Parts: sequence; C-alpha cells; structure tokens
Amino acid sequence: MGEIVIGILLILLSAIIYFNSGNFQQLNETHLDPGSYPKLIASLLALFATILLIKKTIELVREKSLGFEGGMKKYLLTQWNEYKFVVLILLTLGLYILLMNVIGFMVSSIAFIIITGLIIGPRKKKNIMLISLISLIVTLGMYYFFENVLYVRFPDGILF
Amino acid sequence: MLDLFWLGISEIFQVHILIVIFLGVIAGILAGLIPGFTVTMAIVLTLPLTFGMEPVTGVAAMIGVLVGGMSGGLITAALLGIPGTPSAVATTFDAYPMARKGQPGKALSIGIWASFLSSIISFFLLVSIAPQIANLALKFGPWEMFSLIVAALTIIASVTGESILKGLIAGLFGLLIATVGADPIAGISRFSFDIKTLRAGIPFLVVLIGMFAISRLLNSVERSELEKDLKQKQEEKIKGITFVLKPKQTFMTVIRKPVNLIRSSAIGAIIGAIPGAGGSIANIIAYDQAKKWSKESNKFGKGHEEGVVASEAGNNSTVGGDLIPTIALGIPGSAVTAVLLSALMVHGINPGPLLITNEPNIVGGIFLAFLVASFFMLITQFLGIRLFVRVTEVPTRILVPVILMLCVIGTFVLNNRITDLYLLFIIGIIGYFFTKYKFALAPIIIGVILGPIAEVNLRRAFMSNPDWTLFLTRPISLTFLILAFLSVGFTIWQTQKAKVK
Repeated sequence: MGEIVIGILLILLSAIIYFNSGNFQQLNETHLDPGSYPKLIASLLALFATILLIKKTIELVREKSLGFEGGMKKYLLTQWNEYKFVVLILLTLGLYILLMNVIGFMVSSIAFIIITGLIIGPRKKKNIMLISLISLIVTLGMYYFFENVLYVRFPDGILF
Repeated sequence: MLDLFWLGISEIFQVHILIVIFLGVIAGILAGLIPGFTVTMAIVLTLPLTFGMEPVTGVAAMIGVLVGGMSGGLITAALLGIPGTPSAVATTFDAYPMARKGQPGKALSIGIWASFLSSIISFFLLVSIAPQIANLALKFGPWEMFSLIVAALTIIASVTGESILKGLIAGLFGLLIATVGADPIAGISRFSFDIKTLRAGIPFLVVLIGMFAISRLLNSVERSELEKDLKQKQEEKIKGITFVLKPKQTFMTVIRKPVNLIRSSAIGAIIGAIPGAGGSIANIIAYDQAKKWSKESNKFGKGHEEGVVASEAGNNSTVGGDLIPTIALGIPGSAVTAVLLSALMVHGINPGPLLITNEPNIVGGIFLAFLVASFFMLITQFLGIRLFVRVTEVPTRILVPVILMLCVIGTFVLNNRITDLYLLFIIGIIGYFFTKYKFALAPIIIGVILGPIAEVNLRRAFMSNPDWTLFLTRPISLTFLILAFLSVGFTIWQTQKAKVK
C-alpha cells in the first residue's frame, strides 16, 4: 500500500520537475541547457516509480485483502498505539522549530527536551527532575560552546 | 607515498589534534555501543563541531569517531549477544558463546586485537593503493567521471536495501534533490518555485541529518521498538559480568593464525572500497569465508577464536577500504565518508582525483589520523572497557530528546538559517517513510553529494564535443558503464534465482 502512494508521489514530483525544466535561459556556448540534466533524471525516476507502482498494484490485487479484517476501528486503534509516540514527537519537533524564533533558542530547547522526554518516559517525579536537569545542562552547554567557540548567534526570544 | 606520510606526521602530531582524535575515538566507541545510536549519527553530529577547526583537525576528529565506532559494537555483541551496530552481527556468533562459557574477557580482548590489527592492514592497503588510483584517475575526462558516477550509484543501489528497483529510485531521488537551487554551470536558479527556503538549494547536511538521524529516531519510538528495547535492557545483567582482559595472551592467539586475520582484513578492505557495501556486509562475508577455509569449521558458532577474529577484522578494515575511493576519486562509498567529504567542502577543499596532488597535507593527515586513531582505539578499549559497558544503560527517553535537539542545533549552525530547520523537518518525515517501506537511504545521500558533480561532467562532456557516443567509445568510460550494467543485471539474476528456489 505504502509503496503505491510513494510511487504516485514520486511520479508527480518527476512531472513537476520535468515540466518546470523547459523555460530556463539558454546560454549560447552550452549544448545542454540547465534544464536538460534534471529532465533526464526526472524521466528515469518516473520510469522506475511506474515500474514499482505496477509491481506493487499487481501484488495488492493478488492478495485481495487490505489488512482490515478485524474491522476498520480495530485496525486504526492498533496503528495509533504503534505510532502514537512518532506522531506526538513530530508535532513537538514541529512546534519547537516554529517557536524557536519567537521564544528564543534557550527556552524552546529546554522545553522541547523535557516535553519529549515525558512523552516517551513515565511521568514520575524522579524522572521529571532528571530530564529537567539534563535539558538544562545540554542546552546551556551547547549554547555557550557555539556562541563562544564558534561564534554562532542563536535566535534570541522575548525572555533570553 | 613516503612524503605523504611525513607530511601527515607533521600535521597530526600536535597536542590539540591528538586530543581531538582521542575524544573522537571515545565518542565513536560510545556511539557504536549504544543500541539505537548509530556511528553515522555520531559522525553527522560531529560535523558542526568541526566547523571552527582547521580542515585537518576536523577530518581527524571524524576519522577518530569512525574507527572507534567500528570497534564499539564489539562490546555489546560479546557480552549480551546484541550487536550495537549492524557491523557486529557476526561477532555475536562466536564472541557471545565464548562469553557465556565464562571467557568474556578473552572474547573482548581477541575482538579488540583483531579490530586493531585489521585496521593496520587496511591502512597499508589504503596508503599503497589510493595514490595509484588517483594517478590513473587524473587522466579521466568528463566522460569517464560521469560514467564512474553512474557506475558508483548503480552499484550502491544494487548492494543496499531490499530491491534494486527501490535502490535506483532512492539514488535518482537523491540526484533530483541536488538539482534544486543554482545550476552548477550557469548559476541559474532552478526549482525554487518562488519559495525563499529553496532558493539556495537543499544543503547536503540537512538531507543527511534528516534522513539518517531524525528518521532513525522516529523509528526508535514506535511502540514495538520501545518494548523490544525495554526487554533487552531488563535482560541485561551487564553489571554483574566480571571479566579479566589478557592483552598479551590474546595477542598471541590472534597473531598465531595470520592467514585468517589477513584474509578477513583483505575481504573487509575490498568490500569497504565498493560503494554502498560496508561493515554490515563485510563482517558476515569474512566470517563465512573463515568458516569455509578453517580446519576446525565445526567449532564455529560455539565460541571459536577464529570466528571472533574474522568478524571483527572484517568490519574494522572496511574503514581503510572505504577511504580508498573517497580520497582517490572523490566518490564516497558510504554515508560516513560522504560526511567526511562534505567536511572538506565546507572548508573550500574540493575532493576528487586532484586531492592528493593539490592538498597533500590533508591526505597525509587523513592517513596518519587513521593510524593514530587505531592506536587510540586499542588503548581506550583495553583501559576503559569497564566504563563503556555502563553506557548501554542510558534509557531511550533521555537519548531521543537530547539527540533530536542536537540534530536541530547541527542543522542551524551550518548556515545560521532557521529555514533550514523547516527543510530538516520535512526531510526527516520523508526519510522515515522511506525506511518504513524499505528504501535504502545510502543511495539518496550519495546521490545528493554526487549529483552536482555528475551534472557538471555531463555538461562539460557535451560542451567539448556534442557527440554522445563518446561515452561508449572511450574505453574507460565504457568499462564503467558495463560495470553499472553488470551490477544491475547480476542483482536481478540473483533475485530471480532466489525466487525459483
């Protein structure tokens, strides 16, 4: 199933690249313009993705089942159970990246480590203390290392 | 060759560089040791730290991580029967039974010696072969370079991952990612779709961190992975294991059968030099060959010394092998050496056949750093193994958030751009789905790094002569294309044969 979706997306991507490769300025001394090489790669990618798509569709038709035997609800529940943390951590990571410019590197990093740690681990007092301590040490350590040794400026927020 | 060696000595034997290599080795061993934390991840996260260093120092640090990492998997493989990295799978076959029989110290010492001695053997192979190949490659025109990249990518696609079709798709996807941004000859902006983030292209390091670190971390927090990890940690009675290392005795054991050691190291070095194939394949093949050639092959799998030697020699010598095409041709054979090359590029050094001629001090430095790192690995493993063993107990709930945050910092530090972080997020998700459906990630990475080189050479070839048949009539170029064709054909033939069985 997943391969079919990936195949379709890849074909779409190749099409986008291919049809955007036609209108670059041509410099007269070159025999291949900036669009020819991407066109070549996109065509090859589309070709292989189509083969994959056909192969996997045939397999799917032969199997004749989509794996939802136990009912749609049960299927979704087991999937959610398996991938719950993946989704939650992705959401936190997304928020972390978005908020970094607003509330600053330090605050957002410390918060990110604590929240992610508590999503995966047990929410006990001892664990909260431990993860808070680690987040402080790692964030401050990294901040001072990069600001003072490599002169990187991290985004400052409202507070720090 | 000897002058390279002298240059290397003068570059590397400075206190701060030696300290950096030493720290790199320790970091590498820890990375190889902690299940779920890979050597590639460690190398990727080392890269931003090296930006402020001199090129030689930075590369030396990464070589240290690489050498240490290859030997780190040994510890958990021997004591727990769990390979810390895929490169140590065959080590579990004999080292674990040996440890169970009450000789954990012997298993570890033999493994450490085998790792060290094979590194030295592959060092000599590297130093003697790489300059010759580079000399040959200096005669390459754009036709040969393009065909070489085609061959490298198809070989990577055929040796990694589930099927060659997926490997090729992954490689082409990598090449396509590399076309975003300014075109390498005329500088015309391509495929940015008026999104500011894309105008500068998609940086290689962002792809690397997203694909190899973020996707791997997401994978490790799936419910079934977490439970597996928890179960392993409960079973671990690693603190209770007491062992005595006997460096002198085991050294004699290893050295007494030089044929096995040299054969396994040579296998490792050759496999390491093939693009895409690395320690994870080499240790199994070396083990298999050792078993076939041994007079006591029935003892294998029950705690036989030769088995431990073969596996550990096989995986550690891939480092030297992997560096051969990387230095001589500028074609990285694995994600790890791809990072190494990108570290050089960050400092404005262009990898390729001219590297040895133009930057002999860097190349000498790489050679010597490899040698020094092997010695450090030997010393730290023998002295610090008791401490390293403790580290396997770091829980996932601390590891994952901290490494994720380090990934974000690493990406940000590269260009000081917040927009790179958005790319990182998206690429991480793409990488996660790719691994979920068993597309190999190595071809993508190699595709991204070789993409611009391939395009430049293809267009140069057509600029100097619009006749495309030159790719087929120039003998070296033709050889590479035939090689590419054969690697695809052979893999398809093999899978068909396996299906019939």
